[in-house]
This record gives sequence, C-alpha cells and structure tokens, in this order.
Amino acid sequence: MTFEEKKKKLYAESASMIADMGVRGKLSVEEMNFLLSLLDIVVVKKDQPQLIQILQNWVNINEGSEIDEIIKATLMAADFTDEESMEQCLQLVTELLESRGLN
Amino acid sequence: MSEIPEEYLFDLESEQRVLSSMLHSEDACIEAYNLLTASEFYSPRNALIFELVSSLFLREVRPTLVEVLKEGHNLGLFTNPRDIEDLKYIAEHFIDDENIKYWIGKVKDKSRLRNFVEFLKVSYEVIREQQGTDIEQILMSAEEKLTNLTALEIDDHVDGPADMANLGYDEVEKRFLRYKNINEVNKGLIPLDGLSTGFDNLNHVTLGYKAGDLIILGAQTGHGKTAFALHTSKAIAVDSRKNVLYLNTEMSREQIALRWGSILSGIEHERIRAGNINETELSIILNAYSRLRDSGFYSYPCPNLTPEKTISIARKFKAQKNIELMVIDYVGRMDKYDPRIPEWQMLEQIVKTQKMLAQNLKIAVMCLVQLNADGTMQGARRMKNECDLMLKLTPIPREDFELSEEIKKYLNPNYYLMIEKNRDGRSGVSIPIVFDLQKQTMKDAERISR
Repeated sequence: MTFEEKKKKLYAESASMIADMGVRGKLSVEEMNFLLSLLDIVVVKKDQPQLIQILQNWVNINEGSEIDEIIKATLMAADFTDEESMEQCLQLVTELLESRGLN
Repeated sequence: MSEIPEEYLFDLESEQRVLSSMLHSEDACIEAYNLLTASEFYSPRNALIFELVSSLFLREVRPTLVEVLKEGHNLGLFTNPRDIEDLKYIAEHFIDDENIKYWIGKVKDKSRLRNFVEFLKVSYEVIREQQGTDIEQILMSAEEKLTNLTALEIDDHVDGPADMANLGYDEVEKRFLRYKNINEVNKGLIPLDGLSTGFDNLNHVTLGYKAGDLIILGAQTGHGKTAFALHTSKAIAVDSRKNVLYLNTEMSREQIALRWGSILSGIEHERIRAGNINETELSIILNAYSRLRDSGFYSYPCPNLTPEKTISIARKFKAQKNIELMVIDYVGRMDKYDPRIPEWQMLEQIVKTQKMLAQNLKIAVMCLVQLNADGTMQGARRMKNECDLMLKLTPIPREDFELSEEIKKYLNPNYYLMIEKNRDGRSGVSIPIVFDLQKQTMKDAERISR
C-alpha cells in the first residue's frame, strides 16, 4: 500500500470513528462536527496551520479547568469556512492561553 | 416465467466504485453528476449517498467523506453505526479508481437491464390479463416502450407529427407576440432571443447568442480577439449580470484583470499597465472594478487546455454557476487529442466537441480562432458547417474609406464585424465598429445623421 493510500485509509477510519461516536451519542453534534471539520483541514485541505499549533499547545496543558471549557466552546463555535470567524476565534483562544501564561 | 437470478441485475461493486471516486476526485464528481441519476443505483443506500454527494457538489462544497458524514447526520439520514460503516467501506476500499467512465457505464447498463426485465414482466402481465385486446395495439405499445429503453441517451427525442405541429405553432405564436410587443411597447426595439452580443447592430441581425449556439470569431493576431471576447463578456456578465465562463489559454490572471480595468474605466491599457495614472483615475478604476465584483464573470486561465478538459470544466460551471456563455480564447492554442493529426483535423474535432457541448448543456459557446495573414481561416469550411454564427473581425481596408459611400455614413469606424454565417438570419453583412486599441473597448460605429 502506498503512502497516499495509507493516508486515505487512515482518514476514512478516523472520520467513521468520529461519526460513529456521534451516532452513538458519545459526542455531541457540535463536538462531532468540529472533529470532522478538523480532520478535513489536516488531511484534505492542509489548511489553518495556526489552529493546529494552538490545538497542539492546548492539548498538552488541558486539565479540564473553566478556562479550558471556555476554549473548547470557543473552538466549537468557530465557522471553519469563514475566514473572519476563524481569525477572531484564534485570537480569542490565543488570549485565553496567554492569560494562563502558557502560550 | 422463471425468475432471473437477482445478482445478475445489479453490480454493487461498480456502484461503490463510482461513489468512492466521487469522494476522492472532482473530475469523477463532474462525470458522475452529468451521466447518472440516483434512480440508476440498485441499492437505495448507494442512491442516497449519490444524492448527498451530488447536492454538496452543486453547492460547491468539496464532497469529502467528512462532508458527506456531516450532511447525512445533520439531515437525519445516518442514524445508526451501520450507515457509517457502509460509507467508510466505500471510501476506503476503492480509493485508487480513476476509471470512472467504465464504472459509470456498468452502473447504467445494469439499470437498463433492470428496466428491460421490468418491461418484460409488465408485457407478460398485459398478455395474460388482456387476452381479448387487439394484438396490434399491444405490440405497438410494447415497441414504443422498448424503443425508449434502447435509446442510449435520455436526451434522445423523436418528434411525432403532433409534437412538431405544437412546437411550430408555439414558435410562431411566440414570434407573433414579440412582433406585437415591438410595435406597441418597445416602440420598434427588437427584444433579444438570447444573450446580448454587446453590439446593437449585431443584436439586430442575430437576436443575440442563443442557448445551444456555437459562435466562431476569427481575427488576426493583435486585431481584437480577446478585446471582442471581453466586450461580449462585459455586455453579458457586467451589464446583464448573467454568468459567463472565460477560458484563456495564453494570458495570465493579472493580464486579464488589468484588461478589465481598462475596459470598465475607459482609461488607456498601456497607462494602467505601467501605473502611469493619477489619483482621480485610480479612484475611477476602483469604481470600475466594483462593477466587475458584482458581475457574473468567471475566468479560468488554462494554458494546457484540451477539448476533453473544456467538457469537464463547462459541466462543472454549468452545474455550480449556471453559466450561459463559455468563451474559449483561443482554439489554436489548445492541446491536441493526438499530436500526429494535422491542424485542420484538430480544429474540426474541437469545434464539433464545442457544438455538442453547447447543445447538451444548453449554453452558448464562443470559440476564438486565428485568421491567416491573408484573412482566411484554417479549416474554415468545416468550422462553418458546425457553427451557428461565424464572425470575422478585420480592419476596414483603406480603399473602402475612399470608395464606399456606405462607410462614409459612419463616424470614425475602423473595423468590420463581418457575419460570414448566421443560421437564424441574414449573413454576408459587414457591421462597421470602432475598436479603441488603447482602451481595449469596442462599440457600434455611430451613423452620421443627415
């Protein structure tokens, strides 16, 4: 199997796993839509490097605090197809992370 | 009547390969969307996925697996893990399939076979239940249904005598009402049948570019092919806000954008290109571009354009943007199907393809071609056969200014727009126009009132 085929297989596996969790009620509709959109951004569109970086930083320090919940809600409310909405979202999340002195 | 084995009537693998290709490639989407309908799928689940993918494609959302999952979930169509498992299987099992036309053909064949079996079953029931009925009538009815089944394309249509009579009367009535309208409401101004050409006199003779028309415009190098195409595009996309697709084989995006600045502002192209403008002119140009922003002009620079690619691009833009005109600037620079074939044969193939495309998509297609130094056109006779409107753009010869009484009736004309062929009206007409090379603008030459 070529690298490209492996990548597409991994993409299909990940997408169906997220959707399956959505259907089974283990993820909310918003969580499912966010994770699916994120998957498309990383694998297909290869877009939004700043978002990926912010998520990487956040995942390492996420401890489920109130600020983490606010960050999660902010990210899930962002419209991935709207450049302005994405910019605002990333700005806000960056500020929230900075307020914890961790970005 | 013994039953035909069920598995002979469908081919799930072909259906899944088509869907998988659609999830992985835009070209596959264009092909499948144009050639298939959901009713041709045997599996209702596959038909549903096809509809979801097609609806995303139409809304210009790239139909990835993720988008289909989101759409299906949001519409309440994927409600159990089995639905997701099926879609995943399709997406990951046929990811390397590029032979989309072959698999579409197989899906269509099985669909036609099922229709044929259904026809046989119905015919059998008719014979069994209506034993007293006139056999001639039964056979005639069966023959009609069978003929429809054997027609390769759903577009194939035979007009019976009644159809032809109705069509003829409708057309005459339409023209009668239009003529009445001209005299009563429009005070003599003829309404167009199609898209405005950008020239009143050409509109008058042709009644506009109509859906299904192939228009060929010939001019020598540097004598206004692109200016003509953009002038026509302005009339349709900017002034009438209808959608136009402009395929360009030799100019860059920046070059096309700069030309628009000149056309819409009336400021010399050379000065715009050099940046040699003042602040007032910059503001005029800014306003001009705001008209382009609100227009229906879609530009597709494509240096390695092939006839096959034009089909795929035109289908996509027809589905997603509902274009009414496609311009190919210009045909001579398109890549050949086969490098060994002579130039005239290639041109013939291209114009045939474009005519078919215009008719199938119900759009007007304009092809720009280059004239030889002596004003003739390569492969002219064959092109003339295929097209509906053939135009030539040539400078007015000096002797015409001296000898032609007709040309003296116009104010500063410098070019002729010659109508070499016009399927729907007069041909052999030369329309004097004014082509401002500096501003890249064209207009009808004004008649001097006496």
